[in-house]
Amino acid sequence: MTDLNCIKELVFESDNEACFIERERILNRLEKEFGEYNEPDKYALIFSRLMSEVSTPIEDCDYFAGRVLEEKPDSGMSAPNRLLCATGHMSPDYESLLKYGLKGVLKKIKDAAEEKVDEDSLIFAQNAEIVVNAIKSYTERYAATAKSKGFDRMANALEKVPYEPAYDFYSALQSIWIMHMIASCYVGERDYAFGRFDEYMLPFYEKAIADGASKEELTELLSGFLIKTNEICGRGTHNYKPKPVLCQSSKQYVNIGGENPNEFSKLVLKSAVMNNMAQPQITVLLKPEASEEFTKEVFAAMNKLVDKLHIYNYDLIVNALIKKGISPEDAKKFTFSACCTFDLNYYSYRLEYYTPTLQIFLDVINSKEYSDLEHLAKDLTAALKNDIQNDIENKEKGFSDKEYARKCFMLDCLLHTDTAYKGIYPCDGNSKYKIFNVFCPGVATLGDSLMVLDKLVFKEKRFSYNEFVEILNNNYENQEELRREILNYTRFGNDSDADEYTVIAANSFLDAVDELELKENYYAIGGFYSLERDNTWTVRATPDGRKDGEPFSENQSPTYGADKNGITALLKSLSKLPFERTVTGGLNLTFSQNVSADILKALAVSYFKLGGLHIGISVINAETLKDAMKNPDKYKSLTVRLYGFSEYFVSLPKWQQMAVLKRTQY
Amino acid sequence: MKGTIFNIQKFCVNDGPGIRTTVFLKGCPLKCIWCHNPESQSEKQEIMFYKDKCVNCGRCAAVCENGCHLFDNGVHKFAQKNCIKCFECTKTGCEALEKVGREITTDEVIDEVLKDKIFYDNSGGGITLSGGEPLCQFDFSLEILKKAKENGLHTAIETCGFTSTDRIKEISKYVDLFLFDYKETTDELHKKFTGVSNGVILDNLALLNNMEKSIILRCPIIPKCNDRKEHFEGICNVANRFKNVLHIELEPYHSLGESKYESLGLIESRFHSPDDSEKEGWLFEISYGTDKKVGFA
Repeated sequence: MTDLNCIKELVFESDNEACFIERERILNRLEKEFGEYNEPDKYALIFSRLMSEVSTPIEDCDYFAGRVLEEKPDSGMSAPNRLLCATGHMSPDYESLLKYGLKGVLKKIKDAAEEKVDEDSLIFAQNAEIVVNAIKSYTERYAATAKSKGFDRMANALEKVPYEPAYDFYSALQSIWIMHMIASCYVGERDYAFGRFDEYMLPFYEKAIADGASKEELTELLSGFLIKTNEICGRGTHNYKPKPVLCQSSKQYVNIGGENPNEFSKLVLKSAVMNNMAQPQITVLLKPEASEEFTKEVFAAMNKLVDKLHIYNYDLIVNALIKKGISPEDAKKFTFSACCTFDLNYYSYRLEYYTPTLQIFLDVINSKEYSDLEHLAKDLTAALKNDIQNDIENKEKGFSDKEYARKCFMLDCLLHTDTAYKGIYPCDGNSKYKIFNVFCPGVATLGDSLMVLDKLVFKEKRFSYNEFVEILNNNYENQEELRREILNYTRFGNDSDADEYTVIAANSFLDAVDELELKENYYAIGGFYSLERDNTWTVRATPDGRKDGEPFSENQSPTYGADKNGITALLKSLSKLPFERTVTGGLNLTFSQNVSADILKALAVSYFKLGGLHIGISVINAETLKDAMKNPDKYKSLTVRLYGFSEYFVSLPKWQQMAVLKRTQY
Repeated sequence: MKGTIFNIQKFCVNDGPGIRTTVFLKGCPLKCIWCHNPESQSEKQEIMFYKDKCVNCGRCAAVCENGCHLFDNGVHKFAQKNCIKCFECTKTGCEALEKVGREITTDEVIDEVLKDKIFYDNSGGGITLSGGEPLCQFDFSLEILKKAKENGLHTAIETCGFTSTDRIKEISKYVDLFLFDYKETTDELHKKFTGVSNGVILDNLALLNNMEKSIILRCPIIPKCNDRKEHFEGICNVANRFKNVLHIELEPYHSLGESKYESLGLIESRFHSPDDSEKEGWLFEISYGTDKKVGFA
């Protein structure tokens, strides 16, 4: 077996019920030991002790050092311990890590503190120093283990990185992996993202090629690196046998493409295809006019990786950000740090809000009698605006809690360099950009509901306003015939006039976001995204024939099964939505059989030229899904695209499996 | 000009190059015993009744003036023979009764097809006429194809080739690619399987080849009908003889048409559905006899 296959096998053999046993045992002990200790360096000291005690395992087939011992929790142990738990969901500044090393980052932090001479900055710098030194000692111990195994290249790298700047291709990947692993596994949290990986790795790639390395050799190394992203997150979701670790079911996002896709971007695609594993999730930022060569490679990779690679329309996003007032230079540095949420590389502190749009809509239609859509849409915008404004104000209350910030120095602060270099914690409001990602769940359900109200009540006057609202409030009781009639209407997703209502719905929401009263460095950006967990988004009956508690439309997609006119009609419908005012929100297409790279390319390029924002695909047929529901053990590695990421189908709860099954398959 | 179609299907990727919209026209001069689109055979509009989808709501019986919908002990029976095709019962919003075929103008067809132009432009696709046999409604097909060419679309037509030489000559001015059916090599069996001789068909195929038109040979392979060595050799001979046959596409029998026969009140000939190894065997055998590419449609 080759080394690559060997480390792959180790991933498949890993136990989903195992925790990071050393971390748990040590932290449980330290939690008691530091129980009464409340000095500002508490976090740093505990971190330091933890890193000094954990072992430094290396497998014979490992290309890079950095793994965590796993075992089932000891009896009575409630893993995972949240003592050092971080915020995650960020793109650490790996670019600075490679360029300056932790040493350089620390120097900037200390310089800032010396200049400012305020207590908070000094405490920040003091904590940063303890944490950096702990990592340095840990990697020196790792270097010794590598040396004892005769892994000289690994040992040499670990003697330098991540404390020193990376000096070549190998040491760059080693530096990133050690930091990534510590953040995800020892500190612990989901979704540390790799940012614009192909940009900051390019110089190291070019140097390696100039020094005579072969592309094959570098592809193998990169594959060895990318496989490791599968080692840390387990194979379950929130809903299914969660692995007792803080980074369980984390998605590992690697962004490539953008303004100037390069040779290393292609290497990432090649390595990802070679591995074809659930992680990382490749986010391609594609310009509709990108070079034919790069575009071809992207879709050839999508044809193989299917749901593990997804594509955003780069130009559309940059323009939307610029329109929001973000400088073009910073706008071009945006990166997806999670499935549907973005960061402005190291410059933003991001907050999310899932606006209960459909609930608010139902409240609005119950509040008074409307006689036309125009007034209804206007009041809906006002109600949405109030709700979002309240959320921002609530979140703001947390920003001023300096005491919390002071005590909560954590590893994340180091690599959120925008604030780190000012000696401050990222959540205290001083990021260059404070981004509020405001999501609108169920936009198609809302649009179809407006269509039905307009048709049955305002235009055809088959029901008085109050009669119809009453029917909804009674959950269509004794109105099955009417409900079936409604469900037969042509709805959003068929390139028909019905689409206009979802455009009205979308604009009503985005108008609310635009009308928010925001402070100077605040930016609220709307998106059509509807992450549903455990069906907690219970919404009463809606005018589109949906009954109380039934699933509503996913992200920007039509309601399940409403698109009946083919995929091209669906894409035409979607492209009518005002994506130029949004940045996030995924479209998940399901094909029943493999689609050629050329056809995928034609679909996506056409869609992006029409103004589409995103494309992700699943290839799966209904029979396989049904069989997987009956025999989950046979389908452990079956993945489907959901919301903004790829997920193991058998790990989903039944209601969500049914929702995937109900999607239109092309 | 108006014609009768039974579907306009978008995102077709197996009916010629790129992403295409396929227009299915009603009416066919052949009666292939394995036909999986029985609703395409008649030029007239019809009603399909899917009894599995019936919920016994009785709305169809309420609107039917001829009493064609009967409910016997909760079982819905549809007397197709008495139906005068007023189609009132298909307007009740139920899923069990479907009107097959609609009249449409050539402009309406083109407007619908042009909605996807950007996808054709980015994939090298276009419009495909299929059926049924599109040449059954010759003038209608001709006008659609003319308008498609006026709008810069790549055009393909899927045909059984059973038509006059003049019509083939006329239509070919507006067709970039012929998906030409080759169903059976011996004339006697061709008559048995399809109801017509293959003489005219082979003449038309030769004519198109001489006119330098691009042709893809489409060959339905039906177990125990034409899955014979003799026919496979016939396929290879034709492909080898006609230089403008670009490649061969095999269409193995499938049983997806079964429920359609029942819904139309027709009786279907039953064949066994070949498994993957059988299909691969056919592919191998035919590939052996020709240098041209052989694949599945």
